[in-house]
Amino acid sequence: MPCLYICGECGAEHEIKPKEPVKCKDCTHRIMYKKRTDKMIQFEAR
Amino acid sequence: MSEELKSLIQPHIDSFDFFTDHGIDLVLKDSEPLYFEHNSTQYKIRFTDLKLSRPTRNIVEKEIKLYPNESRETGTTYNAPFKGAIGLYEVNEMDEMDDGTEVDYNKQEPTHTFEVDLGRLPIMVKSRYCHLNGMSPEKLIESREEELEQGGYFIVNGNEKVVRMLVMTKANHPVALHRKAWTNRGPGYTKNGITIRCVRPDRSSITNNLHYINDGQTTLRFLYRRQEFFLPATLLLKALKDTTEKEIYENIVQGDNENTFLTDRVELSLREQKINNINTQEEVLDYIGSRFRARTQFPPSFSNIKIGRWFINQFVFVHLPNYNDKYNLLILMIQKLYAMVGGKCGTDNIDSPAFQEVLLAGHIYGMILKEKLTEYLESTKSFVLKSFEDKKKSGDKLPDALKKVLDKNFKIADRFSYFLATGNLRSSSGIDLQQTSGFCVIADKLNFLRFISHFRSIHRGAFFATMKTTAIRKLMPESWGFFCPVHTPDGAPCGLLNHLSSNCLVTVDAAQDPTVQKAQTLLPSFLAAHGMLPIDMVSVYQHQYLTITLDGRVLGKIEPKAGEEMVKMLRYLRSMGNEPSIPKTMEISYAPPTNVENGQYSGISLFTTGARFMRPVVNLTSGQNELIGPQEQLYMEIAVVPHEVIKGVTTHIETSPTAMFSLLANLTPFSDYNQSPRNMYQCQMAKQTMGTPLHSYPFRTDNKLYKVQNVQKPIVHTKNQFKFRCNDYPHGCNAVIAVISNTGYDMEDAMIINKSAYERGFGHGSVYKNEYIDLDQGLSRFEQKKTFFGRPNTVVDELDKFIDTDGLPFVGRLIKPGEPYYTYIRPSDGRQVTKDYKGKEEAYIEDVRIIFGPNGATRDPSKINNICVKLRFNRNPVIGDKFSSRHGQKGVLSQLWPEINMPFTESGMKPDVIINPNAFPSRMTIGMLVEILAGKAGAIHGKFQDATAFQFDENNTAIDFFGEQLAKAGFNRFGNEQMYSGTTGKEFECEIFFGVCYYQRLRHMVKDKYQVRALGKVNALTRQPIKGRKVGGGIRFGEMERDSLLAHGASFCLNDRLMKSSDFAKIKVCKLCGSTLTIYSKKDYSNQTVSECKSCKSSDSIATISIPYVFTYLVAELAAVNITMKLQVS
Repeated sequence: MPCLYICGECGAEHEIKPKEPVKCKDCTHRIMYKKRTDKMIQFEAR
Repeated sequence: MSEELKSLIQPHIDSFDFFTDHGIDLVLKDSEPLYFEHNSTQYKIRFTDLKLSRPTRNIVEKEIKLYPNESRETGTTYNAPFKGAIGLYEVNEMDEMDDGTEVDYNKQEPTHTFEVDLGRLPIMVKSRYCHLNGMSPEKLIESREEELEQGGYFIVNGNEKVVRMLVMTKANHPVALHRKAWTNRGPGYTKNGITIRCVRPDRSSITNNLHYINDGQTTLRFLYRRQEFFLPATLLLKALKDTTEKEIYENIVQGDNENTFLTDRVELSLREQKINNINTQEEVLDYIGSRFRARTQFPPSFSNIKIGRWFINQFVFVHLPNYNDKYNLLILMIQKLYAMVGGKCGTDNIDSPAFQEVLLAGHIYGMILKEKLTEYLESTKSFVLKSFEDKKKSGDKLPDALKKVLDKNFKIADRFSYFLATGNLRSSSGIDLQQTSGFCVIADKLNFLRFISHFRSIHRGAFFATMKTTAIRKLMPESWGFFCPVHTPDGAPCGLLNHLSSNCLVTVDAAQDPTVQKAQTLLPSFLAAHGMLPIDMVSVYQHQYLTITLDGRVLGKIEPKAGEEMVKMLRYLRSMGNEPSIPKTMEISYAPPTNVENGQYSGISLFTTGARFMRPVVNLTSGQNELIGPQEQLYMEIAVVPHEVIKGVTTHIETSPTAMFSLLANLTPFSDYNQSPRNMYQCQMAKQTMGTPLHSYPFRTDNKLYKVQNVQKPIVHTKNQFKFRCNDYPHGCNAVIAVISNTGYDMEDAMIINKSAYERGFGHGSVYKNEYIDLDQGLSRFEQKKTFFGRPNTVVDELDKFIDTDGLPFVGRLIKPGEPYYTYIRPSDGRQVTKDYKGKEEAYIEDVRIIFGPNGATRDPSKINNICVKLRFNRNPVIGDKFSSRHGQKGVLSQLWPEINMPFTESGMKPDVIINPNAFPSRMTIGMLVEILAGKAGAIHGKFQDATAFQFDENNTAIDFFGEQLAKAGFNRFGNEQMYSGTTGKEFECEIFFGVCYYQRLRHMVKDKYQVRALGKVNALTRQPIKGRKVGGGIRFGEMERDSLLAHGASFCLNDRLMKSSDFAKIKVCKLCGSTLTIYSKKDYSNQTVSECKSCKSSDSIATISIPYVFTYLVAELAAVNITMKLQVS
């Protein structure tokens, strides 16, 4: 399961493979957000 | 876009725009060349150009625009490239000037020009050089800013930094003072003096003092390279103008020949300060130049006269380039000094805003730049000369050597980043400032009000905080309308850290305002046409005539009666604003001639400079808004409310009675009903509220951010709440409140919250913390760029539950203390390393951002090694959290009371909050009672209530007004209601005050404060428990606590606290010699420990005793100073 990152500028989702530069492949923005996990997360609802 | 909100921050922005648009050029024009000799040729170097660009990215794509938010998110500085050019000149004889005319350096062609990179200069957000300038709200939101983003701050290492406003002495205005310290300046020096802070057009300043000596002489003091020099005043007068002693005498005395006090002293000065054979201006300048020659670094070809002129240009009345103007000002200062010493006028109060103005970010920037340019040249010079000492390089050509040095020289802009990051000013000259640190503060985004207050706060100066006298902290009547009387902290900075009133504005420099620039040239002739005698037309005046000055330049004299009429006319024209020679922002200070003892020295002083305080009032003759300054306000008749107007006396009226308050003080509803300290407390507490600091939470990486879930507009609000858009950032919630002593859980400022209200979300909130994890941090340059995040051992490490396959935590997961946090690959052996979450509180991973920074340029772009993790902590109210109303009535949550047990009214209402009636009698916060009343009426009728101060009075009371509304809805006029016990259902005997009140949640929370310890770390030396909440320390059981146990005779308890639970130890002591140091233990044949006293040679005499372990430390320390301690043990 590859990890996806969302570009801080254009919102595109990219995978950053090792040895690949940390930037958006579309707009070259240099801040990327990690995508929220799709694993089930259950919190105590009290 | 809110113009009002913008106006609050405008002084900061204006000053920075002044720096970028005019300051840099002015500093460059005024920058001094540096002379040096090489191969017996004179050279000089100077800056020929300075060029600031707009912010661009520092990394890789250097031409891309840098926006503030990118700097914030990456934890870098919002800065722009700053470049300069240095010219190398050969100095020939032609260069000299003795005639006093300025050589225009800009016209002289340098033999070589060098481009220099001066680094990256931090740029103020929303200033003209910022990309956000002029953006529409929509565009701002697109750039991930607030809709109401106002800027005014810098971004340094991701932090928002504000340059604090500082109080300065009013520019270019002679101030008469008594200073004890001045008596130490030399033999005969007295406490009397006149000080003047002369400000150049580039806003750099030099302070000159005119001192009075016992026998009547006066000397002028200035500082050169942090050393003080005194020039005899009459000598200086001769240097400034080719004049005679007779003329000087007449100029000072002005025909007041009966005043023997004055004439004697002037005569004596002229006699005593005369130097033989030195009479003409040239001779005096030559004399002054010869005295100072040795202290300067000018080439020998320079004449003494030139050096003398240089000194006068650089250090005497620097705001006036013209020597005649300098001469006239010095005459005026001498007159004022003699008038003060002779008792004709009093001293001026330098602690009053009348003699103050403000130091702003852009102005400090200019001062620093000016000094750093000089330092840059000096370090260049010394390095160049040094490089020629090196034998290998001694053959180099000068331009080549210079080029090499310039490439290696320090970066000027880095000094600015340092200044903003630390607030410290490293300066070789002191820049005419009284402090070296504390210039910058982080603009906390705790809530909107706190953030905005940073831009309105004005500090008196760090030096005054150390003073023991309280006179400087006093609330001065002169500060009415300029400084807020309510909004100052109580405690140490009280009265030193003030806030500007919401109406108070700060003037811009003439360079920024063409109308002012024009007026400055038109004004002298305008005044001359209206009754003023120009100073250069006549030399002997009537001494009663008033002096008219403009920005510290003597324009002329006027007959007193005519002067008064002229001031009236000037003010009328200023309010109309259509006379080109009288700008709206000119202060027209008029001190009328008076016979009152200790009165102000009479005269008319006009000010058009920047950085002065002004505020609007209504001119009754023109009916227009007019800006007035603090010095003129003293002598003006201004009514606060219309019925105060006296015909023929009152000339002006306030725009509103609440105009004297700052933004925050204006937000307290019905503040005129409260005891005044409570309003001060509210100003403090509003700044500690967990409110809405911003709306752009996803794009913020502040170290700590608070968020409250259910905020509301207050039902009871003031006018300013709308004016300054405070409702866009609410900081509390309307709560139904009962003032009742019901359960005992509301004693001593505790409050009870309805548990169901809590469950509906009352006061719910969270805290965001951002952690930058930079794997290169703390590594040397060779080790950097090698470590990166990753998780190669996904199959075997069993971390699937905690960490994603890229080595980063899962976004959205709840992480608990001690759980694995992230993994990275160690460069030494390529192994995977797991780091655990160090926090002590469970948190949600809000987001994880991968950053290319902060040292972007040096980073390997192909690896993730710098991330920022945003953690969210749940902070719903718990017992012990702090809440407050808007009237300085704070309290802690003591119980979440089940709704079924809450008392209820006849209509079935149950309060959200219960407070104790004892909170009111001694605190007298009647405003809160009125708020509850008004809130209740507003809630019933579905309307917001105006609670602006001073709208009700004795004939028209708030209680009647709101009581009427309540009565209309069928309620008791006074807000009381019959209530029933929640537990028994019985009716209470008395009626309960019940209504709606706006409640704020304060940021002080039990979760951040609780401290508990059973066992834990101890101090290695004393074995006593350590202190400090963070490290799991204990709370000290100190002397006073000990005293109370002693007094109770609880000795066993005392023994338990101070010994058993602290540093209990068993040690061995020799019964014979009483020593604890001579005991020696060893194992015997049966492996049992046997102790023996080495000095008594006895093993039977050893006894074991219990003592606090620090005692052994005491014994050892005493032994070190040759004192033995004997214990008598039986």
